[in-house]
Amino acid sequence: MSSCDSVREMLVLHAEDALGPEERLEVEQHLAGCASCAAEAAQVRKIRGWLSGPDLFVPQQDLTWQLLPEKLAVRAQAQSRRWSYPGLRFPKWAWCAVAMVVFAAGLTWTRRVQAPAPAEQPPQSAAGNEAFLGKVRTAYAREATAQYLTRCQNLLLDLTGADRKCTEDRYDVSLEVTQARQLLQEKRMLDPELSVPDVAHARNLCDELERFLLSLSTSQDCETRDALDTLERSIEKDQLLLRINLVQSGIALE
Amino acid sequence: MPYDTLTGVEASSRQVRESNVMAHPGNSDEPASCATEDLMKQVQRGDMYAYQELIRRYQRRVFRIVSSYVRNPEDAMEVLQDTFLKVYAARHTWESRFSFAGWLYRIAINASIDRYRRSDRGRTSSLEDVMETQLQQSATTPEAPDPLDRLCDGERRRLLEAAVRNLPQRQREVVSLRYFAEMSLEEIATALGCPLGTVKSNLHKAVMGLKAMLLGQRGALSYE
Repeated sequence: MSSCDSVREMLVLHAEDALGPEERLEVEQHLAGCASCAAEAAQVRKIRGWLSGPDLFVPQQDLTWQLLPEKLAVRAQAQSRRWSYPGLRFPKWAWCAVAMVVFAAGLTWTRRVQAPAPAEQPPQSAAGNEAFLGKVRTAYAREATAQYLTRCQNLLLDLTGADRKCTEDRYDVSLEVTQARQLLQEKRMLDPELSVPDVAHARNLCDELERFLLSLSTSQDCETRDALDTLERSIEKDQLLLRINLVQSGIALE
Repeated sequence: MPYDTLTGVEASSRQVRESNVMAHPGNSDEPASCATEDLMKQVQRGDMYAYQELIRRYQRRVFRIVSSYVRNPEDAMEVLQDTFLKVYAARHTWESRFSFAGWLYRIAINASIDRYRRSDRGRTSSLEDVMETQLQQSATTPEAPDPLDRLCDGERRRLLEAAVRNLPQRQREVVSLRYFAEMSLEEIATALGCPLGTVKSNLHKAVMGLKAMLLGQRGALSYE
């Protein structure tokens, strides 16, 4: 007859029906004659039943589950757009090449600065460097603008979905207010980039968003439903979310 | 609304979505007519409706797995969202020869562990704390031969959830995938990239560990 210890080693797998026929028979024969191991097996089955049951770590039943897929789809698309600009979709070797070109350009520039007789400059080389730097600046402006718009879009989506209550009739928007203030600072840094022709068409929208953010940033941490409704109406009236999508598509296609 | 701007939708996937929504309104984890792997291929082509359908199918199971690592439901919800965003960002790294569920749960577990390391360490539920609270409440429960039977449903659930969160990491992974994601032992071995024997051994240790944790306070439970 099997020892109790060796049978108890197999009780969980027996409850899982994961034993071979011989082992299963061995366990069942032992359990039939050993009350102590049979009680142990009953406890194992009980715990296994509880773990398999539907009431452990059960999510709350609310509307979140219905809205979550759409909300995540919008966020996922916005995030992926950041990395999908044709100008930035290079393989690693291309980035290495770009780095080498930048290094060579820097080296050339340094030598020109140090050269004793700068009279004989090859004008083609200077023009080439200018063009290259222009491209770099354009790529940076597009990336910075797209990232700023994505952050604004996420904030607007969070704001429209705010459901954390401070009190009975007030909603906690402290996080959104903080984000709005950060985005206002970012806008100031973004302003010079918006003069680049490739992203100039985003300026109007960015200015409108700035006005909206300004209004949001002066909100209280706990706002009434009416105040939130006013903000949401403003988003809908100006079609801010739709326009962000359109402008971002334009940036990605250029 | 911004949802209208989701693009790249093929008619077939829209039909899949609509039929699934009709069959399983809003929040179902039930298997639907379109195979998960096919949906994932559509997601790889940028179909956002297929992506939504995937979320709809798996969100609750992922939530249960994540909750076994993260105590706070709000944190669990954030990890859940991070998981599905990572799924989309990394969609091209999934290969159809691998199980989508295994890949998804691996991402969910990694995201949960990240969150636990960053912010939840030390705040996870202490089994002793939960025990202490619950034992006082269970003092009026009638005598029963098995100490486990003295626990009422609510107590049992809270104690067991705390006990699961106190399991060692690999055992917790196996328990989550087996009981919350309803994967077979073989699928778990594939998902975790370890031998079947290791999965069996971890499952045995986990269940026995849970039993020991629940009965560890046997003296208190039986009020001897």
